[in-house]
Amino acid sequence: MARKDEAPFPGSSSKSDQANADQSWVLSSLEHDQLARAKKHFIPRRHLKGPELVVLWGLRIYLLFMMAVVFYQVWTAAR
Amino acid sequence: MSVGSQPPQTNRIVDEVVVITHEDVDRAYDRVRVSAARAQHGFFSGARLLWLLVGPGVLVMLGENDGPSMLSYAATGAKFGTGFFIPFVALTFCMAIVVQEMTVRLGAATHRGHAELIFDRFGPFWGWFSMIDLAIGNFLTLITEFIAIRAGLGFFGVPPWMAILIALVILYAALMSHRYWTWERITLAAAAFNLVFIPVALMTHPNWHEVDHALITWKPLPGFNKDTLLIVLADIGATVTPWMLFFQQSATVDKGLTTKDIRFGRIDTVLGAALATAAAVATILATAPLFAHQMTADNFQAAEFAQALQPIIGRFGASLFALGMVEAGIVASITISTSSAYAFGEVTHKPHSLNLPMGQGKSFYSVLTLCAVAAAAIVLIPGLPLVYVVLLVNVVAVLAMPPALVFLFMLVNDKEIMGDLVSPLWANVLSTGVVFLLTTAGVLFGISVIAPNIFAALGGK
Repeated sequence: MARKDEAPFPGSSSKSDQANADQSWVLSSLEHDQLARAKKHFIPRRHLKGPELVVLWGLRIYLLFMMAVVFYQVWTAAR
Repeated sequence: MSVGSQPPQTNRIVDEVVVITHEDVDRAYDRVRVSAARAQHGFFSGARLLWLLVGPGVLVMLGENDGPSMLSYAATGAKFGTGFFIPFVALTFCMAIVVQEMTVRLGAATHRGHAELIFDRFGPFWGWFSMIDLAIGNFLTLITEFIAIRAGLGFFGVPPWMAILIALVILYAALMSHRYWTWERITLAAAAFNLVFIPVALMTHPNWHEVDHALITWKPLPGFNKDTLLIVLADIGATVTPWMLFFQQSATVDKGLTTKDIRFGRIDTVLGAALATAAAVATILATAPLFAHQMTADNFQAAEFAQALQPIIGRFGASLFALGMVEAGIVASITISTSSAYAFGEVTHKPHSLNLPMGQGKSFYSVLTLCAVAAAAIVLIPGLPLVYVVLLVNVVAVLAMPPALVFLFMLVNDKEIMGDLVSPLWANVLSTGVVFLLTTAGVLFGISVIAPNIFAALGGK
């Protein structure tokens, strides 16, 4: 199969027939969400529930505490 | 993005004005080849389909066999020989499969990167936390990759500045095609060189009876102390790290995998884990003779390991070992800097694809190059105590993993974006087990630092 990326894009109307053919070829090969343009749309926000927030905050505090431990170890080793 | 009970299964007619970009055309071309292979039957078309669809899984697993990881395995072999750590390393790769499989499903179902999903779904507050973890971890790890490259090429007498320049040129050369497929194949070819540790291990004539015994019994067990715990953490951090989650999901999206390809995505991940396990175990076996000769290798870097092995495996074997370290650093520097660039593009909603021409992907390529060049430049600053970074980068990765995994867990169980592809119960049990294991290992490490004598006291020593 011939490589198609020499086709005029984005969506050039002046070379209409070839462009339309190429556009439909691309659209039929990809799922709608795979198009670069579709990725500019945001995904709806999800409301976090109480237990989820507890876990997320717990792990955040865990990570901050453990990073302090790592810095302490580096500091003692450097001394 | 379709938000509903089912992820998109078929192509749909687009109502709005469609702008086809270069990125779309390249991805469509890849998908046509996949569709053509899928339409045929027989062994060869199946093999061709596998060839077309493997990539992100193998790259992420062999990419994680990076400079500090291979040094961790080398230190493990030199310090403990053949025993507990051989099956333990295999277990850590099983954990990596459990975790990475979720990113394949998530990427194929949503066609969105990991950072983008966290930002959009949970909001910028949690998104920035996640990005800061990733950015710090990636940058520290990138520094260690260039340290490994410098040390590995130093074995051949290459000056540091030239070693770093060679690495940056290779990284840039892989990007020059501006085509995901070509970039992936170049990086895969480089990653295959990770298996060079297998012939090095064979040159040391391992005692296969001991290896079998270790695999079956997990013995001899190491003593339970601070040093063992550090190696345990380093070996876990050598197989499961946050950048892997971000990279494989983004690469799955950039490659254009769909829900039909998830089975091959799983094969890709398992194949990558098997290859990486082989290389990791080979590295432990390669340096096990140093343990047998009771050599102290506590502060060894790549070149020192190669030099220490030279009397045992000769100049050729030692050279292969040093080249393996260089390869590990180069492949990881490519994948990790790419992971940073993907994440940046995803959260800023700027174009982020390896299919982008330079003109359309200025921010993507700039971030990628900036990360690599900044890390490389730091390695060239004389007098910096970089040895601490190498020692602790895997530990930091283990500590940062539980929060990253919880986001992944929540996303992959989100029915609104995953539809019927939400995790089954068994996958949730396994991933919860991984989070528990990583958190426990982190807590034990913290205790060993704050109260260094506690394990000796508990062990009666």
